[in-house]
Amino acid sequence: MKTPREFLSDLRDEIEAHPAVNHLFLNRLATSPMSRQDYRVFAENHYPLVCAFTTYMELLLLRAPDSEARLWLSRVLVDEYGEGSEGKDHPTLYASFVDACGGDSGRLGPERLPSPAHAFIQAHQRLVRRGTFLEGLGAVGPGHEWAIPKMFDAIVPGLRRAGLSDDQIGYFTLHLEQDEDHGAWLEEALVRTAGTPEAQAQVRRGALTSLEARMRFWDGVQAAVIRYRQPRATRADGPSPRTLLHEVALTSWDGMTMGRALETWRARRATDARPTLDGMLLACRSLT
Amino acid sequence: MKILLVMPTPFETGRLGLENVIWLAEPVALTSIAATVSDRHEVRLLDMRLEREETLPETLADWKPDLVGTTSMTTDVYQAKAVLRMTRQIVPNALTVVGGHAPTLQPKEFAEPYIDVVVQGEGEDTFQQLCQRWDVQRAHGDRTFAGVAGTRYHDHDTIRVEAKRSQVRSLDDLPAPDRSLVAKYHGRYFFTSARPMASIFTSRGCSFDCNFCAIWEFYERRTRYLSAAKIVDQMQACEERFIFLLDDNFLTNKKRILALCEELERRKVKKLWMTQGRTDFVADNPDIMARLAKNGLVGLLSGFESNDDDNLAALRKKNTFDKNKRANDILRDNGIFSTGIFMVRADWSKEQFDALYDYINTLEIGIPLVTILTPLPGTQLYRLYRDKLMTDDYRLFDLLHCVLPTRLPRAEFYKHFARAIDATEVSCYRAMRSLLFKRPSVWWAMGRNLLWFYARTWRYQRVHRDYTSFLRDEEGLLNGPGARGHLTWRDVQYPTGSEPRTDREGQSLIPLRIPKRTWADDVADASQNPHNHDLPALAAGE
Ligand code: B12
Ligand code: SF4
Repeated sequence: MKTPREFLSDLRDEIEAHPAVNHLFLNRLATSPMSRQDYRVFAENHYPLVCAFTTYMELLLLRAPDSEARLWLSRVLVDEYGEGSEGKDHPTLYASFVDACGGDSGRLGPERLPSPAHAFIQAHQRLVRRGTFLEGLGAVGPGHEWAIPKMFDAIVPGLRRAGLSDDQIGYFTLHLEQDEDHGAWLEEALVRTAGTPEAQAQVRRGALTSLEARMRFWDGVQAAVIRYRQPRATRADGPSPRTLLHEVALTSWDGMTMGRALETWRARRATDARPTLDGMLLACRSLT
Repeated sequence: MKILLVMPTPFETGRLGLENVIWLAEPVALTSIAATVSDRHEVRLLDMRLEREETLPETLADWKPDLVGTTSMTTDVYQAKAVLRMTRQIVPNALTVVGGHAPTLQPKEFAEPYIDVVVQGEGEDTFQQLCQRWDVQRAHGDRTFAGVAGTRYHDHDTIRVEAKRSQVRSLDDLPAPDRSLVAKYHGRYFFTSARPMASIFTSRGCSFDCNFCAIWEFYERRTRYLSAAKIVDQMQACEERFIFLLDDNFLTNKKRILALCEELERRKVKKLWMTQGRTDFVADNPDIMARLAKNGLVGLLSGFESNDDDNLAALRKKNTFDKNKRANDILRDNGIFSTGIFMVRADWSKEQFDALYDYINTLEIGIPLVTILTPLPGTQLYRLYRDKLMTDDYRLFDLLHCVLPTRLPRAEFYKHFARAIDATEVSCYRAMRSLLFKRPSVWWAMGRNLLWFYARTWRYQRVHRDYTSFLRDEEGLLNGPGARGHLTWRDVQYPTGSEPRTDREGQSLIPLRIPKRTWADDVADASQNPHNHDLPALAAGE
C-alpha cells in the first residue's frame, strides 16, 4: 500500500499530466492571439462554474465526517467568499472580467446555462451529493485545487496579450496564488484521510471524474468559441474516415432549410430544458 | 529512444482553410525526417488534422516520448507552439523541436521557453544528428547542441545560433520518406476528388525569384532534383493510385522530365499523378506536356496569379498573360486538369474583380483558386510591407484574409472575393466536360469520387461563400502596425509594372527594392558573432 504522502504525490502527478489540465484549447489560448470577443465567449461559458463552486463545498461541508475535513472546507470557503480578495467574492471578481471582455455579467444570471457549464456542474453536484464524501473531496479538492493553477497558467498570458489589465483579470491571478495555498491545506487534510487503499481509491476516483467533466467542458468552450467565429463551420472530421454515404447525408442535411430549422429547434429545446444560472444556484442553496 | 512527430492542426477545426476541402497532403516533412532515424529509434507520428484532439495528450502521457518534433508554416505557428507547450507540461523531460518554413524564416516567433530547439532549413541531417546527441545527453538533461549545424537553442539566457547547414546534399542520397508512419491514415489524404492520394517530392527549390514566394529563399536559390529512377522507385512503392509530387516547380529540368517519362514507360508504371509547375514551361513545351499526360500526369497546379502583364511583372513572375492562356489550352488539349492560382490585391476595385472572374471563365480552368496577395514572412514583399500590415495574427496569413489595407471597405472587398466560387463555376464545369471527352478513364478515376468531393466541399463552400465569415475571422484581430497607424490603401505602394527594367529575355521586371538578404545570411552572421547568439535587429525574414 502507498503511504498517504506517496499516494498524494502520485495523484498530483497524474492530475498535472491529465489531458483536461493540458487541454489543447488551453495551450491554444496560451499561444494564439485571441481577441476580447473570443474571451467574452470563454467567460460567458466559464462564469457559471465560478458561481457554482461554493455550492459543492457547502454541500460537502454538511457531509464532512470529521472536524479536520470541516476545517479545510471552511478555510477554502472563507477564501472563496472573499477573504484575500478585498471582500469581493469570486463570482464578483469574475463578473468584472466578463464585463471587461465586452460581456454583460448582469445578464447572465437569468439566462439558461450554456450546455458545457451545465454538464460540468451537474457532474459535480452528482458527486458531492451521491458519491462518497471522499469522492466529493477528491473532486473539489485535488480535482480543482491542483488542476487550476496549471490551467490558469495557460490562460493568463493570453489575457494579458488581449490587452486586459491586471485588475480585470484579478480572478485568474488570484487563483494562481490562492489555489497554491488551498492545495497545501488540502494536502494536510488528505494526509489524514487517505490512509487506506479504499480511501485512496475514492479520492482518486472523485478527482478523475472531475477531470473527465473538465475535459468535456473545455471541448465545449472551444466549440463555442469556434461557433462564435464561424457559426456555419464545417463539422470536424474526427478520427474515423467518413464514408461517401455519411458525407452525402451530412451535406444534404446541412443543405436542407428544414434540416437546419430542425437543428435550431432542437438546440432551442435543449437550451430551454436547462436551468438558468440563478435558478440552479437557488436550487443548490435550498439543499444546504 | 522514443520519438513522437506531430503534424499540427492548421487552424481550429472547421474554420476557413485549404485543407478542409481542396488538398490534404501527407505530412512529408515529418516522414522525411523520420526516415533518417527510424532504424535506430522508435518513431510514431500523429497527424492532428485526422486525430481526435485528446489523442495528443493521451499519447504524451501514456507513451512518454523522449523527443517531440513538430513542423510549421506561417499559418500554423500558434498551433505548432501549442503542441510543444503541451509537451512541456505533460512530459517535461522530452526535448521539444520545431522545424519547417516558419521556424526557418521567422525563428524569433519560436523563441519560447518550452521550445528547446529550432531547426532551420532542410531537416534530415540536422534531425539525425540532433537525435544522436540527445540520446546521449538526455541522461543528464543537457539541452545544448554545440556543433549541430542548422539548430538554434537556449543556452543560459541567450539563444545560441549554430552555423547554417549547407543544403547541397544530393536528394538521391536522402532516404525516401518513411510512409509506413502514415499507413494508419491510408485513404484520408486527397487532392480534390483524387483519393486515396500519396505524396512525395522530387525536387527542392526554384530558380525563379517571385517576390511573394519564399521557396527560392528557403533553398538559397538552388534547385536539386531526385533522379528519374529514384522518382519511379518511390512511385512504385506507393499503394495509392494517385500521387501528388509536392515540388513547387516540377516543370524545370527538361532532361530530367524526359528521363522520367522514359523510366515510367520502361517500367510500365500506371500511376495517376499531379504536381505544381509554371505555365511558361507548359506553353513552351507542348510535346513534353503531351508525353507527361501519356505517362500519368492528370493535374497541374500553377500560379497564373494575374490577368494582367504589368501585375505579373510587378510580382517578378517573369511570365505573361499570353503564356498563361496558351498553357491552359495545352493542358486542356492533353486532358490535364488544371488548377490555377490567382491573386487579387488589397487595392482592387469591383471592376478588377469582375475582369479577373471573366478571364478565368474564358480560360476554362478546372479549379480556379482565387487567393489574396499576402506578404508572407520571409518574402521580399514582407520586407516591403511589414510596417503596413493590418494584423500580426499569422493565422490570417492564409491567403484568404487580407492583411493589408483595402481600397474597398473590407466588407465590400470580401463580398467580391467570396463570390469567386460562384463567378467561376462555369469554368469548372467546362473543364470537367472537356476532361470527360479527352480522357474518359481519368475522368472516371476522379469522377467517381466527385460526389464525395462535392459533399465535402459544399459544406465548406457554405462558409466560404458567405463574406461575413472572413469578417468574423478577423474581428478583434486587426491590430497590426497598419491598423494602429490608421493606414489606408493609399499608403501602400504597389509596384505598377510601369517601372521597366529588362532582363535577358527582354521581359520587364520590377527591381527588388531591398537588398537580397535572406535568412541564411542572418544565420551566418549570428553564428559568427563573438557571443554566438542571436542579433536582435537582424532576421531578414522577420
Ligand atoms: C503540401 C503543402 C501544403 C498542404 C499542407 C502541408 C502539409 N501537408 O505538409 C496544404 C495544401 C494544406 C497547404 C496549405 C497552405 N500552404 Co502549403 N505547402 C505545401 C507544400 C507544397 C509541400 C510541403 C511539404 O511537404 N514539403 C516537403 C517537405 C520535405 O519539405 P518541408 O516541409 O520544407 O520540410 C523540410 C524542412 O522544412 C524541415 N522541416 C520541416 N518540418 C520539420 C520539423 C522538424 C522537427 C525538423 C527537425 C525539420 C523540419 O525538414 C524537412 C525535410 O528537409 C509546400 C512547399 C514546399 N516545397 O515545401 C507549401 C508551403 C509550405 N505552403 C505554403 C503556404 C503559403 C500555404 C498556405 C498559407 C497558402 C496556400 N494557399 O497554399 C496554405 C495554408 C493552409 C492553412 N490552413 O492555413 C508556403 C509556406 C510559406 C511560409 N512562410 O510558411 C509553402 C512553403 C509554399 C510556398 N511556395 O511558399 N500547404
Ligand atoms: S512562385 Fe513558383 S516560380 Fe515563383 S519562386 Fe515560388 S516556386 Fe518559384
